[in-house]
Amino acid sequence: MRSLRIGLLLGLRQIQRASFWTTSLIIFVMMLTFLNLIAVSGILVGLIAGAEVALRESAVGDIIIEPLDDEDRILETPALLSKFSSFPEITAYSVRYNGAGTLEANYKERRDLTGERDTAALTVTGIDPVLEDKMTNLSDLVVKGEYLDPNEEGKILIGIYYLEEYAELYGDLFDTVENVNPGDIVRVSVGEVSKEFEVKGIVESKVDEVNFTTFIPEREFRRLFNRIDRNADQIVVRVVDPAENATVKDSLIDAGVGELAEIKTYEENVPKFLADIKNTFDLLGAFIGSIGLIVASITIFIIIFINALSRRQQIGILKGIGIDRVSIEVAYVLQAAFYALVGSALGALITYGFLIGYLMENPIDFPFSDGIMVADPISTLYRFVTLFIITLFAGFIPAWMIVRQNTLNSILGRK
Amino acid sequence: MSIIKARNIHRKFVEGELVTHVLKGIDIEVNAGEFLAIMGKSGAGKSTLMYQLSVLDTPSEGDLEIDNVCVSRLSERERTAFRLNTLGYVFQNYALVPDLTAEENVMIPLLMQGYNWVDAKQMSHKAINGVGLEGKYQNLPAELSGGEQQRISIARAVAGKPKILFADEPTANLDTVSGATVIDLIADLNKKENQTVVMVTHEREYTTGCDRIVHMKDGMIVNEEKFNRQTYAPETSTHL
Repeated sequence: MRSLRIGLLLGLRQIQRASFWTTSLIIFVMMLTFLNLIAVSGILVGLIAGAEVALRESAVGDIIIEPLDDEDRILETPALLSKFSSFPEITAYSVRYNGAGTLEANYKERRDLTGERDTAALTVTGIDPVLEDKMTNLSDLVVKGEYLDPNEEGKILIGIYYLEEYAELYGDLFDTVENVNPGDIVRVSVGEVSKEFEVKGIVESKVDEVNFTTFIPEREFRRLFNRIDRNADQIVVRVVDPAENATVKDSLIDAGVGELAEIKTYEENVPKFLADIKNTFDLLGAFIGSIGLIVASITIFIIIFINALSRRQQIGILKGIGIDRVSIEVAYVLQAAFYALVGSALGALITYGFLIGYLMENPIDFPFSDGIMVADPISTLYRFVTLFIITLFAGFIPAWMIVRQNTLNSILGRK
Repeated sequence: MSIIKARNIHRKFVEGELVTHVLKGIDIEVNAGEFLAIMGKSGAGKSTLMYQLSVLDTPSEGDLEIDNVCVSRLSERERTAFRLNTLGYVFQNYALVPDLTAEENVMIPLLMQGYNWVDAKQMSHKAINGVGLEGKYQNLPAELSGGEQQRISIARAVAGKPKILFADEPTANLDTVSGATVIDLIADLNKKENQTVVMVTHEREYTTGCDRIVHMKDGMIVNEEKFNRQTYAPETSTHL
């Protein structure tokens, strides 16, 4: 206790009297190290988290209702939807009808009837434009033209992957049509049935499922695909508190929805590759962070070593007048702890006070995701503790090396 | 009564095959309350002898007893504690901690001895007042002159009431006036507080007030002078 008290006094005064700029520089290095630990993995994981957010917000919502394993469609869809009224937790939902067809463009301008037609195989989704927009803000994803008007007929929204000018970056990966813009007429064929649509808008999203879809009003879908029943292929649901979606799912099952369709939470539905990439990036972030940790520990080691070495005679004199080794070692460990604490606190302040909020408002525009930053407080605390402990060792070892030297040799500056 | 008893003290330094025999069988006793000066030319071994007597170094051979404790048998930890509780040191280069104020420099060994902050502070102020530096408690060493720093180092050495005060050429880095002030302080401590003092110096003028001077040459004590404690007049001079 006595040694600790004297060590604290010596360490505190060394910090207090040290050069402001030197101390600031060391703290800056520690802050960067902490940011490296937190931010690199945070952004890597945030890249995938951003993709998940986009998927959740503009495609699948918090709860996904799909046909039972042995059914093609959701049974008794209208009856099922009527149950939603007793769930105040449900803030929005969209009923979707999916089908496959062929999109043909430029057929009116085609002169050579024996030449190749401008067609693309496509997925058609029938929606209620109002419900879908409330659910996924689909109208915000219209990059050209306008969103569907519920009172209009014969209009279609086309995902960008069906259009040559948007999809050319991906080479021949997708089946596309050329020179299609809002106002143009395209033909959608399903089997022997064809119908002309005017392109109302073009939709672009970070979510491939949206880019790979064309949207038409549900009543036209049913006519086109001859779906006389009202049984849907998918219902996506948004709830008040996404974290409580499992509870809502259970309530839906209790209400009998489970007998008509399969209900999944977002988490149950998340594609495995996303979870795998997220874990991989987390690991990668930890690896990069650990390199930062090694650099930080070496930095602290060198700083404390030089500091203790330059005070070797003073250390010898302190030992000479009877100050024990532990007190002197505590003084240097305290300095290392101070640098780690202040650096980490500044790093945490920047992370939680600025970076996370800023990136949430201004996500990094990655091709498949609006990259945000994810920094779970528990894992941040864990990393801080790791950095702190390593820094303490990095401070202790050089102090121990200098303090253990012969007292008289230290006083006289002998080797 | 002897407070230091050193018998057949040898100190050899070995570097590869080169052996330097710095102390060649020194026998010396220091009485409680005595003011002893060790003199000699550079390389005579006077500082090396003081390091042995002050438990800062370990003799290659010989027995050393201080205050009835056989220090040769103490562990490193025990030696540190022994130095803290029994001995006081004044070094040539003042040896104050630059980050601590004058007051804190004096307090450090007191806190280590177990005094609480308030008591240590009071004792430190008393010691600083004792060396004539009232009001300089909060000054950093860099804000004090060389003579003032050496006086603070004396205050640090004596604040805990050590049995023996060791001074290693305390005037070497000081001008004549500051040097005289420091020596007067040490002599005063000896006379008024009956403080045992062992001082190494190579300046004869600063030995006024000593009870005894031992002269060293080539690692051995070659001459011993004794002085009258009241008049400082020489009493005996013995060639050994």
